[in-house]
Amino acid sequence: MTETILQFDGVSKSFFGVHALHDVTFSLPKGHLLGLIGENGAGKTTLMNILGGVLRPDGGAMRLRGRDYGPRNPAEATEAGVAFIHQELNLFTNLGIADNLFIDRFPRLGRSPFIDKPVAKAQARKLLESLNLPLSPDTLVDRLTPGERQLVEIAKALSTGAEIILFDEPTTSLTAGDTERLFRIIQDLRRQGKSIIYISHNLGNVLELADEIVVLRDGRVVDQGPREGFTVDKMISRMVGRDISQIFPSRQSAPADETLLEVRGLSQPGIVKDIDLTLHKTEVLGLFGLMGSGRTELARILFGLEPFERGQIVMDGVACDGVSVRDSIRRGMAFVTENRREEGLLMEATIADNLGLVALPAFASPSPVRLVRARRLREAVARVAESMRIKNGPVDRTPAKNLSGGNQQKVVIGKWLLSKPSVFIMDEPTRGIDVGAKYEVYSLINDLAAQGTGILLISSELDELMGMCDRIVVMSKGEVQGAFDRSEFDRERILHAAFKGHRAHQRGARR
Amino acid sequence: MGRRFVRRGLLSENFVLYLSIVFFAILYLFMPYIASGRNLANLSSNLWPLLALVLGQMFVLILGGIDLSQTSIMALTSVVGGMLMTTQLDPTLFEKSPLWGILLSPQGSPISGTALAVPLGILAMLAAGMFVGLLNGLAVAKGRMPAFMVTLVSMMFFSGLAIYLTKSENIMYLPGGFTMLGAGEIGPVPYSFFVVLVLAAVAQVVLKHTVLGRWFFAVGKSIRTSVVSGVPTERVVILGYVFSGFCAAVASILYSARLACGRPTLGQNLLLDVIGAAVIGGISLFGGKGKVLWAFFGALFFVLLSNALSMLALPFYAEPVVKGAVILLAALLDVTRTRLLAREIVA
Amino acid sequence: MRAWRWICVSVAVAALVAGGISCSRRGDAPARTSVCFAFQDLETEFWVAGHKAITETLKSKGIEVLERNANQDANRQLEQVRAAIARGVNGIIIIPQDGESAVTIVGEANKAGVPIGVFNRPPANKSNAAIVVVADNERISELAVSYMAEQARRLGRKATPLILVGDLGDNNAVARRKGFMNVIEKNPDLFNAVIEVPTKWDAVTAQANLEAAMQSNPGVDFIFTSSDQMYPQIRAVLEPLGKWKKIGDPGHVILGGVDGDARAARWMKEGYVDATGVQDLFYEADALLTELLRAIEAGEKTPNKWIEDPGFALTQANMAERAMDMWGYKLFAEQGPAAAR
Repeated sequence: MTETILQFDGVSKSFFGVHALHDVTFSLPKGHLLGLIGENGAGKTTLMNILGGVLRPDGGAMRLRGRDYGPRNPAEATEAGVAFIHQELNLFTNLGIADNLFIDRFPRLGRSPFIDKPVAKAQARKLLESLNLPLSPDTLVDRLTPGERQLVEIAKALSTGAEIILFDEPTTSLTAGDTERLFRIIQDLRRQGKSIIYISHNLGNVLELADEIVVLRDGRVVDQGPREGFTVDKMISRMVGRDISQIFPSRQSAPADETLLEVRGLSQPGIVKDIDLTLHKTEVLGLFGLMGSGRTELARILFGLEPFERGQIVMDGVACDGVSVRDSIRRGMAFVTENRREEGLLMEATIADNLGLVALPAFASPSPVRLVRARRLREAVARVAESMRIKNGPVDRTPAKNLSGGNQQKVVIGKWLLSKPSVFIMDEPTRGIDVGAKYEVYSLINDLAAQGTGILLISSELDELMGMCDRIVVMSKGEVQGAFDRSEFDRERILHAAFKGHRAHQRGARR
Repeated sequence: MGRRFVRRGLLSENFVLYLSIVFFAILYLFMPYIASGRNLANLSSNLWPLLALVLGQMFVLILGGIDLSQTSIMALTSVVGGMLMTTQLDPTLFEKSPLWGILLSPQGSPISGTALAVPLGILAMLAAGMFVGLLNGLAVAKGRMPAFMVTLVSMMFFSGLAIYLTKSENIMYLPGGFTMLGAGEIGPVPYSFFVVLVLAAVAQVVLKHTVLGRWFFAVGKSIRTSVVSGVPTERVVILGYVFSGFCAAVASILYSARLACGRPTLGQNLLLDVIGAAVIGGISLFGGKGKVLWAFFGALFFVLLSNALSMLALPFYAEPVVKGAVILLAALLDVTRTRLLAREIVA
Repeated sequence: MRAWRWICVSVAVAALVAGGISCSRRGDAPARTSVCFAFQDLETEFWVAGHKAITETLKSKGIEVLERNANQDANRQLEQVRAAIARGVNGIIIIPQDGESAVTIVGEANKAGVPIGVFNRPPANKSNAAIVVVADNERISELAVSYMAEQARRLGRKATPLILVGDLGDNNAVARRKGFMNVIEKNPDLFNAVIEVPTKWDAVTAQANLEAAMQSNPGVDFIFTSSDQMYPQIRAVLEPLGKWKKIGDPGHVILGGVDGDARAARWMKEGYVDATGVQDLFYEADALLTELLRAIEAGEKTPNKWIEDPGFALTQANMAERAMDMWGYKLFAEQGPAAAR
């Protein structure tokens, strides 16, 4: 029987009478990795905030190494040896690695206020070596890849003497190579006796890494046990509370012959080279590539957010040598960007304002003053919200920032629906959203395609593309390396194409 | 009961208005003359031009920018209008002006004294204000420079220009048709009220009911999202600064008319009152938030405060201290209110 | 965080209570005569001394004073005066930002029927009625320069005169230059051609231009400054040239100016400066107040009177009798050299 390092005992928390956590009880054995899964809103974040001293529980208790544990603030949690590696990293990109590691407790020269630089550097170097990160402690964090930054964050956790390390969606922005390296390091940490809580929507990863799995739903622990008792399907059905027969809804349409969008010899030096691409009516075209392969950049060029030097973009039979965003929208294009917080949503604005933003000019009176026909807009927005089942409060009062990731993404997609696009580019539409919401997004894509829209779907999850697309185009180093019809989908070959031009499998693309 | 009443007041959108009313009522107990007809007329005459400025500032603040150049736009337009309309210039004061002999003579400008002087003068003032706003807008939108720097530079440049054009002299002898705008009244209501009422109505319609107005808020909330969503962000930003310049010119007309002279230093110390009134009213410095009504409440509060302080027999050095204290209290109440409001929404 | 908020609240409340107490203490006697004293800002010593003279005299007479600082904003001054009128003050004294805004503000008081006095900076025209007290700058300069000319006569040779001219956009500067020129022109036998050094009322400009002028005209031995404010600059230029010398020393440059501030007082007392033209601040304050209080007493609503302050020149010859009539000398005597830096 292994020693228990952390024990949750009937922890409850409610906000304004609504239970966020209800009688949560589980334990983390020392040196184990516990996978914590659940849909958005299941209570994972609240639980972690309680563990980290951000929130206090209403009821129940936590025990750390057998003693009562109730941190009143994050500093106390750190003091007790609990460290967090967040999805959005908390590093100062303008400072060097060593400065980041010791930002709140630099080694000093005696009792003076001056920093003992040599000691700081030596300690930093030792930490980096322990993580197999051959970098100088002076390197600016700005220069590091997302994967390297993650390791710096881990080094920081280790430097505080953390015994329990919590990972919250650590792989969302990592390349395949970086992910592999991260997993190796997590295994090392576990072997060194660190205890780990790992939160992720990537159920495959959880299943691969975890010793135990705890499933949260609606603030309660609905299942827990050793990994051996779980499969991905079981995890999903426990999280959602019902059986999902498949991860991807079935397609009801096949691509037509009619061409909606054609790209001919598109080039922008240093970004993309000689891209040829054809998107048909009712087609879902996948665009696969590693981070930095040029897939996102290509999408931005197509939509008019970035310029291109040579080549043509043909829509509706009209060729263009250059486009602006407004041209693209006028020609029936829509774009869901990969970062919904920065470019997809007005976080402070209401759901209704977000949904109405793109189609606004279409709801204006013809006079030069362009008065908004508010009632018609309101009705149209309500229809979209209704049809997309955007849950969460009244659309004209709830700000987008209060929505869960999945609902936010539905708003981002929904705002384009009012303008009835013929070509829809979606860059990572399911990133960071839970299984249930993913399924809804997939269904939406299928519905759109069935109505005739051509969809260019970009994703770094190959399974997703293989499940959804009629065809997959693979990019690497800014060039198209191959195209695969549904009948020839083959994991190995697609990945091979994606890694073309990369020296080592592990390093991935460096930005 | 009492608590709920206070709570409702705190949470209300009209919070600053209630605050002003309570403030006024308390003052009334100590100095009943604050509600005299004459003082109410003072309040109104002080309020409208300030409101014009706050309205313009609001558009820029909604965009997430700031317009520091409003006061120098006032100075410049005041001088431009003064030069065009004045009927008499003292050569000993003005012969060093670079425009002497070109535009200016002892009889004023070529249009001085004609029937066109006042309308053309006013149009020129508005055009000058919009021109400076256009320059600001172009630099911010196309030049991608921070609004603070751009408008700081134009604040310095155009207030310098106003002083250069007149060699720092004030221009007197403005026609009665013009000064009436600042001093004239219909019954108890000053002309300036009608001018600013029109301005406020335009602002209200634009913000609440037009595509452009919605774009203003969208750009202020996230310019990157707006770009992706097809909002013509550059045009929207430029229009915001042009409107701010226009409003500053309107304020300049009212203030110049009231003082009956064109002044190269008009409104030099007014900027913080304008931004202070906007913020007290609830218009966020971080963009995306603002209402015409809020601008009105903010300006009202500031005017009331200044007026009350002018009436107290405080030693003059205590006046800014008390003013600061009142604003601090108002800000604290506002913070409390925002916190309550946030809780209300979550629940 | 919470502590912060409490500190903020208590500071604000304390300030308000203090304000409230001081106002209720003063505001309890509505029967008392009250006068609004609105000044533009107190930019120079002259205005500070004027402010002090006026408020102290009023208070000593038991009159309630509402002091208002417009911070150099004419618009704000107009609003302040209007508010004071609404409060029902019996009289108004202003130091206007400039002559032009003074006209409008005086008009405002006329409309309301409240007597108004304008201190030292006259309205740009006489279209509205006010008690205006204004110094005769031309005469004051003339008095000072006349004394300086007598000293030049004793040299037994032609002196080379230099004048530091103010900003000619300012009427005071024009009048002071005129007074200087009057004396020079009257005594062609005493003087070589005049060297004019523009200062624009700015210390840096003054020093740079004076430096250049002294280099091209090393023979200058007679300097008149249009404002006593410039003595530090004059000293900075003359001292390295060996020309900052006491009266009686062969290297002494005959020195004089206008204003009568504490600097002039110090250098006269120490024997470097020969004469200074004095705006008789105490006379001006007294004359203005007397006239205004008389109008209030008599119930006159729009008294209209221009009072000229003839001023005088304080010279090395009359220092013993008249020094304490000079406002700057009084400042100097009270505060010592600290007032005269």
